[in-house]
Formats: sequence, C-alpha cells, structure tokens
Amino acid sequence: MIIAALVTFAILLVAWLVAPDDAPVAAAALPMPAEEALAEAA
Amino acid sequence: MQQIDPGDTAWILMSTALVMLMTPGLAFFYGGLVRRKNVLSTLMHSVFILGLVSVTWVLWGYTLAFGPDTGLGLIGGLDHLGFEGVTGEPGPYADTIPHLAFAMFQGMFAIITPALITGAFAERKSFKAFVVFSVLWSTLVYAPIAHWVWGGGWLAGLGILDFAGGTVVHLSSGVSALVAALLIGRRLGIVQPITEPHDVTMTVLGAALLWFGWFGFNAGSALAADGTAALAFVTTNVAAAMAALTWVTISWIHRGTPSVVGAAIGAVAGLVAVTPAAGFVTPAAAILIGFGVAIVCYAASQLRLRFRIDDALDVFAVHGVGGAFGALATGVFAAEVGLLAGNPGQVVVQAVGVVAAGLYAALATAGIFLLVNLFIRIRVPSDAEERGLDLAQHGEAAYSHG
Repeated sequence: MIIAALVTFAILLVAWLVAPDDAPVAAAALPMPAEEALAEAA
Repeated sequence: MQQIDPGDTAWILMSTALVMLMTPGLAFFYGGLVRRKNVLSTLMHSVFILGLVSVTWVLWGYTLAFGPDTGLGLIGGLDHLGFEGVTGEPGPYADTIPHLAFAMFQGMFAIITPALITGAFAERKSFKAFVVFSVLWSTLVYAPIAHWVWGGGWLAGLGILDFAGGTVVHLSSGVSALVAALLIGRRLGIVQPITEPHDVTMTVLGAALLWFGWFGFNAGSALAADGTAALAFVTTNVAAAMAALTWVTISWIHRGTPSVVGAAIGAVAGLVAVTPAAGFVTPAAAILIGFGVAIVCYAASQLRLRFRIDDALDVFAVHGVGGAFGALATGVFAAEVGLLAGNPGQVVVQAVGVVAAGLYAALATAGIFLLVNLFIRIRVPSDAEERGLDLAQHGEAAYSHG
C-alpha cells in the first residue's frame, strides 16, 4: 500500500514537471489589473 | 507509563487544527502585502504547500524527522515510511496521546515552514519551480533540522531548548528566505525594495489568524493539557502583544505615524521570538522578549532596506532574526537552566544551534535553488512579472472590474 501511495505521488510529481509554465488562457479574455486598466484609459 | 489521556488528546487534536489554520492565515498576511496583480499567486503558494507537504509528510517527511535515529544524530530512519507503525497508541515522543496525533501535529509545523519562505521571493517566481523547490526543501532542510532538535538528533543531545520551533521553523525558513531573495534578485522596477501592500485589511486578518493559531503552535507543543501548556499560552499572548506595541511605537517615532502594518508585523515578530521559549520562561520574561524582538527585527528590516535586498515581505528580518533572537533569549531566560538561573552554558548551546541550523539551511537552500534553476527557471520572464503572476501563471485575476 505504501509503495502504491509513493507511486501515486510520483505520478503527480511527473505531471507537475511536464505541465506548462505559463497560463494557456488568453490573457486578453481576463480582467486586467486595475493599474494597467487605468494606464490604458489614460 | 504510557496511557492515552482524553484531555491531552483532545487538546493536541485541537492544536493541530489551530496550527493548520495558520497556513491560510499566512496566505492572507502575505497576500495583503503584495501588489494586486500577485495576490492569487501569493495565496496559492501557501494553499498548495498545505496540500503538498500534507502528503509528503505522511509518505516520508515524518520518518526522516522523527523516525529512530540512523546513528549519527543527523536523520531519522525509514521505519515510519508512509506512517507505518504510527498508530492510535502512544508513541516514543508523548506518553498520553496517540502517536498519530503527535505525527499530524508535527506535520502542521512541516507545512507552514516552507510556506514562510515564499514571502521572500514573492511576485517573481515560477510556480512550477516553486513546487519542486518546496518538495526538496521540506525533505532536505526541514526534516533533518527537525530531527537534530526534536527527533533525538545531535542538537537534542547537546541539550538545546526549542519549545515550539524557533530554530526548527523560524530560523531555518528565515535564513533560507534571505538566500532565496539574494539568488533570485530584485523585482523588476523595484529600486528601493519596500513592501507595497495592496490590502492592509487582508494583512491584519492574516496576522489575527496567525496569532490565534499560534496558541496551538506553542501551547500545543506541551503535548498535554497541563500547566506547561497554560504557561505557553500566556507567554505567547503577552510576547505578541508587547512586540506589537513596541513596533508601533518605534514606527510612530521613526516615521511619524503609528503603522497598522507595523502592528501586524510586530505581533508576528513577538510570536516568532517567544516560540522557542514559550514553555520555559515566565510571563514577565516574555514581555521582555516581545520588547527586545520588536527593536531587533525593526532594525533588521531597516538594514535590509539600506542594503536594498529584495526579501519582499521581510521574512528574514522577522523570522530569521526573530528566530535567532528568541533562541538566544531562551538560553538567557529559561527557568532553572538559563543564564539568569546561573547556567551560561545554555546560551552557548543555543548559539551553536542557531549557527549550525542557520548555516545548514543557507547552504542547502542555495544548493536546492541552483539545482532547480538548472532544470526549471525559477524566475519568471520579465513580461510575466510585469503583467503579474496571477494572470501569467494562474490565468486568473483576484479582483474583477466588470
């Protein structure tokens, strides 16, 4: 059982290592930080 | 004689829950101190570590810290891998509570310690690198130092006094924070590395949760519902109170205003310093500890600014310096065995602990940082840093403007 738990955690660890670094969501679709929005408005 | 006491067990289980609450408390404390574009990433560091170290502690952390010593006093053996042999019966560290309760209580300390470091390189580190760094740090730095002091290791053999983790938790994380801040470099566009809190109310809420949880952290470390727990409860409260009052007073004189952020940080500094001393000193001594640590940590914070070190949330000044101050103060004020009780040797032992744990934490952290950075760039690209980690790394924003 302990080996199975260790292997399960190792699977997560590998997934974290291969996961993308940056958010894949289009940044433009998200709300802007206030200071950026204000700068754009100005 | 080992026999489970329901009162002791109830108190330790409750204390475990109190210490658990400190990690989200820390998340709010830090979250308020950063700029609004990095709130979620800062919260996420603590929340993720709560999950991460909860699992690694059961799998291998506990046994490395508290397993039977492997012979040199440096690390525990693998007898309790996966909590093997950790049962509802009392274990080797407490006679009146289940071994499971002790192990989980200690697990909460293991969780919050790496979370403390995250304040130093806030607003500029890659989440992926942070995850790997945290796994390695809690395994290679926290577990050995916990073993040295609490697990029957070599510092325990010397007779070091660390009631609830001044050296194990605060000194180790504070020194590591300084190393991490120096290695990752200053945030973009930050010339004078002051904190720029986006929400002081969040920081005050976080400090309040930390103060509340710290009763479990310190009084729970008595591992019983007894007079020592009551003493630790009182010293914890009064040291935090005195340090908050002193920090506010210093900032009032120095900057001309009684700072609200200063009250929150001062209270935390007091809690840090009384941690190693809580069950060993009188309430009056705790007042002196609270007074002293506020002065020392405030000065350390000013010195950091002078050297322009971007330890973004003053982790070293509060936890590193406060932890070292508390460890030494314990050697001075500890009833019956401290300097004031006629035993100057205790201060020497405390100093050996501070130097050894600090040096090891610094070197090991530098090694881990450089190793991780070889494979995963720890610092995010400059465009991600400018945009903010919430959007760049997590694809979410803390506040909607719609």
